[in-house]
Amino acid sequence: MKCTEIKELLVAYVEGLLEESEKQAVAEHLKDCPACQAELKELTGLHDRLVTNGKALAQSNLEKDVMNQVIREQNTRLKAATRATDALKIRRTIMKSPVTKIAVAAAIIIIAVIIGINPFGNTVTWAQVIEPILNARTVIFDLILGADDTGIVSHEIVVGSRMRRNMSNMPNMTMIIDTDNEKLLALDTEAKTAAYADIAGELGERHRSFIKFVRQIITQLQEGQVEQLGERVIDGQKAVGFVGKGQNEAVTIWADPETALPIRIEAQIGQELSFSMKNFEFNADVDESLVSMEVPDGYTLEKTNMDLGNSTEEDFIESLRIWAEIIGDGTFPEAIGTESAMKEMPTLVQKVKAMEVSEEKGSQIGMSFAKGMLFHQTLESQGRWTYAGAGVKLGDASKAIFWYQPQGSTTYRVIYGDLSVKDVAPEDLPK
Amino acid sequence: MLENDKFYVERCLDGHPDDYRYLVRRYQGVLLANLAGKLGSRDRAEEAAQEALVRAYFNIGKLKKPDSFFSWLLGIADNVAKEHQRKEQIQRQRDIVRSFSEESSGTELSQDYALEKAIAELPEAYRKVILLRYYSEHSCNQIADQLDMPLGTVTKTLSRAYAMLRESLQQQKHASSL
Repeated sequence: MKCTEIKELLVAYVEGLLEESEKQAVAEHLKDCPACQAELKELTGLHDRLVTNGKALAQSNLEKDVMNQVIREQNTRLKAATRATDALKIRRTIMKSPVTKIAVAAAIIIIAVIIGINPFGNTVTWAQVIEPILNARTVIFDLILGADDTGIVSHEIVVGSRMRRNMSNMPNMTMIIDTDNEKLLALDTEAKTAAYADIAGELGERHRSFIKFVRQIITQLQEGQVEQLGERVIDGQKAVGFVGKGQNEAVTIWADPETALPIRIEAQIGQELSFSMKNFEFNADVDESLVSMEVPDGYTLEKTNMDLGNSTEEDFIESLRIWAEIIGDGTFPEAIGTESAMKEMPTLVQKVKAMEVSEEKGSQIGMSFAKGMLFHQTLESQGRWTYAGAGVKLGDASKAIFWYQPQGSTTYRVIYGDLSVKDVAPEDLPK
Repeated sequence: MLENDKFYVERCLDGHPDDYRYLVRRYQGVLLANLAGKLGSRDRAEEAAQEALVRAYFNIGKLKKPDSFFSWLLGIADNVAKEHQRKEQIQRQRDIVRSFSEESSGTELSQDYALEKAIAELPEAYRKVILLRYYSEHSCNQIADQLDMPLGTVTKTLSRAYAMLRESLQQQKHASSL
């Protein structure tokens, strides 16, 4: 070999990367070539210099300082540690998942939480809807999921029959809901993708009732069908409090004593659901384009249309199966409900990823899970349910895991560990 | 054998901030080498490396591909270096105005500042290979894996990087002897 060829190989030679035959050839050449020997010496010198410097720098100890700073900053950032970490976890896992449809499904679960509430059942008539507030063209507020202020925050802009929603756990997702046409437009502002979802049927109905919800509460205040709590300072403002109780829910309203406009509303619905609403703004100037159902310029419309219409008991059973089989590795969870489902979302996303199913199948799983949870939410607002599945193995026909009484029925529906269902008289219910 | 970057990135995302330490251990040398050459002193490099690592941690959710943590981290470090350089420039101008008679106090240089400076000036592809090989103890095979290129390309890049480093070191020597 010529010197030029040898020189090409010398770095690899120093690094020990050559094959045996090449190595031999280089060694052979080096024996009688002072020029290449000199070159080798130079390169070895540089190599040693790099190694020495590398070792010196690798010995430095940034670890302690960096970790201290990370932990300290994280603690200040996440004051309400557990809740916020959960929200962060959900957000990060969901946002990074290639199975983006599951993210949309998750978003829709929350939507339904927020809207799946008819707070006073059919016990309240609201005929006297006259006050200007009730006719407010726009309402802006924050809705916080959970019993305190550390939960997922949903920022809502309601304009007539349309609403725009942003949730703190999914900052890239914007949802625009058209309740007249029972359609939802989900926008991923980072990926610049858009997807329409069909929310016809019950889900659409629940959207509508949500818009009425705020108004209904005010009506209640005016009608004086509520217990007065007296004056207190709420969110820095003087407020008068009222509490209204329905069959399955309690709603506390703190309102401005001068204007009767609400400052803060807290609600407990059924056994597992609570949320609060605050930062209300009525009749603010809202740009109509914020609630446009058109796909914005620069966004790609995803083909899949999602059907999240009427959810049934069958959907619920399927979500129980997904929960036990995929999330719980064969065992039913400790608890079920909207908050538990949201917490499990990252696990579901990861497990689905690990299953290496097609995106279509993956989104189907996410959708089924969401749909089942929607059914469970309707139970929250309608009546009593019992979950007894903690630790039960999927397939165990001897254990009842869930029962509820459908509206107007005298018997209960009981779901067992093998996901079979029976109608059972109240006196025969599991103890 | 320790886990790959992706593993630790995902652990962090799953709410195990403590596992970030393994990434710090793995790349502190790389960052220091890269930054010392740019910033001119060990102290400044340490400060900037720490800042880059903390910044990376809090933005880890934005990392699209956990596999590419290294390249992404290097990008953050380069940004931090730029910010620090800018700040220093302003500071230096102020210092000059304040007292141009006073010799700017020579900050303590790294033990092989010439080499670090030469590395900092390498084009990115060459810089990455040198940093991974000597400052993060990656084998050439691991580099091939991490940067997603054939082993042959790693070898060639390394060879070329050596040539560039030698040239740059010689120029520095020449300049300082003038």
